[in-house]
Amino acid sequence: MKKLILSIILSFSVAFVFGQTNPTFNPKTFTAEDEVIMTFDVTGTPMAGQSDVYLWMFSNDGVGGGKDALTNGQWGSSSESAKMTRVSGNIFTFKFTGTTLFGQSPAELINFGFLGKSKDGTKQTADFKPFKFDPLVFTPSQFRVFPAKMDNTDMTTVYFHQDLATDQNLQRMFDVKVTITFYSDAATPAVVATRTALVATKESATLYSYSFIPEKLITIPAGTKLGKFSYQFTGSVKDANGANVPTSGPVNEVTYTVFN
Amino acid sequence: MKQIKYILLAFCFLSLWGCQPEEFGPIGAEENILKELQGTWTLSKVTQKDEDAATKGFPYKELDVTNVYPYKELVIALLGDAAGAPTTFTITPGNAPKISDFNTGTWAVDNAKAPTVITIKNGTMTSELTLGSYAELKIGKFFLKKVKKANGKAIVSYTYQFTKK
Repeated sequence: MKKLILSIILSFSVAFVFGQTNPTFNPKTFTAEDEVIMTFDVTGTPMAGQSDVYLWMFSNDGVGGGKDALTNGQWGSSSESAKMTRVSGNIFTFKFTGTTLFGQSPAELINFGFLGKSKDGTKQTADFKPFKFDPLVFTPSQFRVFPAKMDNTDMTTVYFHQDLATDQNLQRMFDVKVTITFYSDAATPAVVATRTALVATKESATLYSYSFIPEKLITIPAGTKLGKFSYQFTGSVKDANGANVPTSGPVNEVTYTVFN
Repeated sequence: MKQIKYILLAFCFLSLWGCQPEEFGPIGAEENILKELQGTWTLSKVTQKDEDAATKGFPYKELDVTNVYPYKELVIALLGDAAGAPTTFTITPGNAPKISDFNTGTWAVDNAKAPTVITIKNGTMTSELTLGSYAELKIGKFFLKKVKKANGKAIVSYTYQFTKK
């Protein structure tokens, strides 16, 4: 019994430690042209207990057009400009501006990631990524939300611009519907509710939308706060015999902003 | 001759001393905005604005969301005392989404003659709404704007247009 209680406490502690937001940014949201102070806690990583932590940073993880930070230096000998400032114990800070750090324009910078390492590269943390830059330049895309930032009480409209679709099935998709899944704001987000086959409004020949307010669409259990939602446009395409075949677009995730 | 100089100087000082800002009254009859605001109003239009997109000059800045949910069922009653000062308010939402965290309480304005901000209050909860142009008050319309901010920056806003019942 004791063992069971101990393991439950341990699992909760581990979940708590890993659930902490690390790193943190000041300001919380920033564009590629804003100066940001990143605070990074290396507790529980191979860099724990080290007095010097160097950053190895990279841009646009998983979206193409990525570059290493100009401050990185060589893996075996990090540049001094990549050195973090030790605040106390395992807590380090680093000040940067995206455009200067990566030598890329605001339009090019979508996200960034990093790892902490020793100067000689013999020790390192896992990758921490991706952290999005607030866009300064509008980039049309097949899926978008309005407004771009909202909290869990706001009216939200998800859009599918079929004329911008790159996938052939999405270009041909008709009878368009939306599936929306809401997640809690817990450290490990849990699914709160999913609504499927919500009929999208055909605003024009190539534009579909669906508007909703979470509490009007689902029942939010008492004590649960929504942290994010995902949406996916689904529909049908005709096969070679003219029969309807179900098809769907990718799942897009949107994190709720906390207004103050 | 010297005396004339001093007299002229004294005259100049006296003239300056006599300068006072002149108060101009309103053109036409003075309007009692507070009195005109009081009454029962129906929500007739809701516009959502992406303030961040507007600041950055992005497309897709505004959206009329009136007909997404039955917003038009919402009714607000703004009451005042005999002197015309604001007292209590009641929101009857019907099936409309909520536009405030509380439906009853008191309301106050920042400036009785030319109000720009309406503060609604219930216990310790308060909410500030910006009052739009008075131009349409005469024809029984007024606007309230609710702005949501992050780090002091406006991100999203809602403009509610009310029509007098």
